[in-house]
Amino acid sequence: MTQHSDSHSEGTGMRTTAQDTRQPLLSVSGLRVERQGPGGSRTVVSGVGLEVAAGETVGVVGESGSGKSITMRAVLGLLPRGLAATGEVRYGDRDLLGLSERAWRRTVRGTEISMIMQDPFTMLNPIATCGDIIGASLRRHGGVTGRRALREESVRRLREVGIDDATVVDRYPFQMSGGMRQRVGIAAALAGDPRILIADEPTTALDVTTQREILSLIKRIQADRGMALILITHDLRVAFAMCDRLHVLYAGSVVESARAADIDAEPLHPYTNALLLAEPPVDRRVGELVSIPGSVPAPDEVAGGCVFVSRCPWATDVCQDGTPPLLEVTPGRWSACARLTAARTEMTRLRERAGQDLPFSDDTPEKEPVLSGVGISKVFTGAGGGPVHALDDVSVTVAQHESVGIVGESGSGKSTLARVLVGLEKPTTGTIAIDGIPVTDWGRLSRSDLRRIRRTVQIVFQDPYSSLNPLRSVGWTLAEAITTHRPDAKNVGAEVERLLDEVGLASAYAQKRPAALSGGMRQRVAIARALATRPKILICDESVSALDVSVQAQILNLLVRLRDEHDLGYLFITHDLAVVRQVTERLYVMHRGRVVESGATAQVIDNPRAPYTIQLLASAPRAESAWLEGTGRRDD
Amino acid sequence: MTTSYERDTRAARPRDNESAGKRRRRLPRWSVMGLSLVVIGVVVFLTVVGTAIAPHDPAAQDLSRIADGPSAQHWLGTDVLGRDTLSRVVAGARSAFVGPLVIAAGSFLLGNLLGLWAGYRGGRVDGLVMRWVDVMWSIPALLVLIVLAGSLGAGYWTTVAILVVLTAPFDTRVVRGATLEQVPRPYVESAKVLGVPDRRIVLRHIWPNVLPVSIANAFLVFASSVGVLAAMSFLGLGVPPGTPDWGLMLAENQALLFTQPLAALAPGVMIVVIATAMNLAGDGIYERLSARGGTA
Repeated sequence: MTQHSDSHSEGTGMRTTAQDTRQPLLSVSGLRVERQGPGGSRTVVSGVGLEVAAGETVGVVGESGSGKSITMRAVLGLLPRGLAATGEVRYGDRDLLGLSERAWRRTVRGTEISMIMQDPFTMLNPIATCGDIIGASLRRHGGVTGRRALREESVRRLREVGIDDATVVDRYPFQMSGGMRQRVGIAAALAGDPRILIADEPTTALDVTTQREILSLIKRIQADRGMALILITHDLRVAFAMCDRLHVLYAGSVVESARAADIDAEPLHPYTNALLLAEPPVDRRVGELVSIPGSVPAPDEVAGGCVFVSRCPWATDVCQDGTPPLLEVTPGRWSACARLTAARTEMTRLRERAGQDLPFSDDTPEKEPVLSGVGISKVFTGAGGGPVHALDDVSVTVAQHESVGIVGESGSGKSTLARVLVGLEKPTTGTIAIDGIPVTDWGRLSRSDLRRIRRTVQIVFQDPYSSLNPLRSVGWTLAEAITTHRPDAKNVGAEVERLLDEVGLASAYAQKRPAALSGGMRQRVAIARALATRPKILICDESVSALDVSVQAQILNLLVRLRDEHDLGYLFITHDLAVVRQVTERLYVMHRGRVVESGATAQVIDNPRAPYTIQLLASAPRAESAWLEGTGRRDD
Repeated sequence: MTTSYERDTRAARPRDNESAGKRRRRLPRWSVMGLSLVVIGVVVFLTVVGTAIAPHDPAAQDLSRIADGPSAQHWLGTDVLGRDTLSRVVAGARSAFVGPLVIAAGSFLLGNLLGLWAGYRGGRVDGLVMRWVDVMWSIPALLVLIVLAGSLGAGYWTTVAILVVLTAPFDTRVVRGATLEQVPRPYVESAKVLGVPDRRIVLRHIWPNVLPVSIANAFLVFASSVGVLAAMSFLGLGVPPGTPDWGLMLAENQALLFTQPLAALAPGVMIVVIATAMNLAGDGIYERLSARGGTA
């Protein structure tokens, strides 16, 4: 067991305990990152510590704003300008924080510690071939010289990451899929044969099936090379499946640290507990997701107390009185909760309650569909001039107060379907009927029919950052939505307040511009805007997938509540099977523009028939390492 | 590989270093823009009241003082006909400012109208407008200007009118590009699904988001028009002879470059100063405007 003496003075400092006596390769202690500015410095990360030994996988888990990426950037000396790190990052007998940029490059990055990034679409130089990209690091770090030798080595390196096709070395990043790019990124990161690999959300931008492949690839390479792995992720299930130890970060501080299996069995901090419960499970429907009220604060807002205090149901005055230190609860388990003894039993009770399956009641009578699309096809002209069948003979119906899910990966045509249903795209063939009005050509509809259709079906998009006009206040946006359909509406201000209230926002938000709002708040505004026309059907196109888990749970709960209050029907389009399990009764599974399976949600998920559905279910993250086994490629 | 990662890291998190970087640079940038605005303000002031505060009548000739150097009476000396250079520079602000203003405003209006329309409608409308733009761009502007001004009869306002037509495609292209960027954004699509009328979507949603680009562009147009109009006057295709105009003054006094250089240099410097000020102010205003709304 190892301890850092300085973590006592740090308060929130972190002592890591390795179960075995392996010497840590890298040990970070008391790491603080501050943003220097004319108005004084702001804390980004306060007193984080962790250790990683060869062959070990350490997970750094947290939502956006927790400081997890910044922590690892500091370890590699890659902090953005304006940020400065203090504390200690010990690698071997050196303290890395004191190194010059030149020393970082020459002696650490790539050869000792390497990193792969989240976004495979921007990570690779777009004007370099894969051979160039991997070759550059090979030359630099591996001492390989000569064109032919470099090429051969590149091919060999690509084979290590599961790319057997030797012609890939001549391909450019834009000619490859996201999963392929991530593989090339991994090959490049490993070219210098580092002893530690830092993976920063390596699969967040990928589809679930690709995610599983990439994660098991990383796991296999790590085992083969005996490399240490630090995995940064927001997804606890991924962390449980991949990691030996976890550090849970919140607002720049470590709130809990333990073996992954221990946290999975019983989290010892209210935040970890809430995070676990906010994650919708795929194997059952919980009545209401446990959402965490509010959003992640800035570290300085919560200085001098527990970082989680503003959102914790067990918070008392004790929690405000100084930062609770990270204490060892049982050997190897550290928690920064001052009220743990009081909260522990209740946290267990909450988890037990969430373990029950509460399926939707099946006794809903058959209702006339409000929205129906029959035999919809959509053909685009592809980049090469050939036809691309985005939708191929797809039929869907949604009735009032019915919640219908459409699940599929990127490229399945699910978003195109949504766009066709609201008239943003014209279907190539097929008929759509909304509220009894046949809509084949939106341009030919009479004004009153168009008005009625617009009022009946509304949509909430995925990206909360661009779904509101950045120059218009929330109130302006909502008022426009109200007056568009009721030009003579009186007291629009009161109506705006009512809409804001419905989605759980204070009326003061009417004056704010979108930039002043968090992602979750913006999505609430987008929902309020859709509700302004009093629709019968709400199409949610990946409406929660850009949000953090705790916020996602808030929005999902909101949608469930609004459905009952307004008798709303939902068409819930998502890639996430766990989400559809929570909010929908009926489900369509889409793959390459076709519906491959449909039926009652619980039935489709519990007894999938179509091979694609089975594959999709197997890929959905599970909190066990078995999830990563048997991916069907050479990765296992 | 790590080296290319580094670049990516910085690029991937622009927000993190942006604020710090901006703060460091804000001061000089502000003073550059402030200075530009002061220069523009002075020229506007001269345009409005110029002739009233000029020390002499800009047209008055004093044949006993031809091409005199600076003196207490004539701070910038006199020109080839014995007219006070300072008074002529002050009076010349009017033709140097009003013409470009009309050109910038005219092509701004035309360009925004056509650009928004083409960008939002897309399809055939877009194709038609853009082919027109291509045709206009393929015409050598200065040549057309000289030919047309020569055949229609030289004149300041003729030149200005022709320049509006020749510059509008430039605005159109810029505005159309910016519009295309906004059209697929979810806020526009949400408005469509809500049933907000197209005209309102274009004017109240898209246009305000395109404005930073088109206003900055108008400043650029203004700056280049200053040069083109001066050139036309220099060639004798602009203002009538005798008018106090910076381009014409350059032409009239170029023979004095070695004896009374101020007579030619003063208007020349003014042309450069106002054009530069407009360019810099346009840059600054673009940055200010596009910072509205934060993530715009």
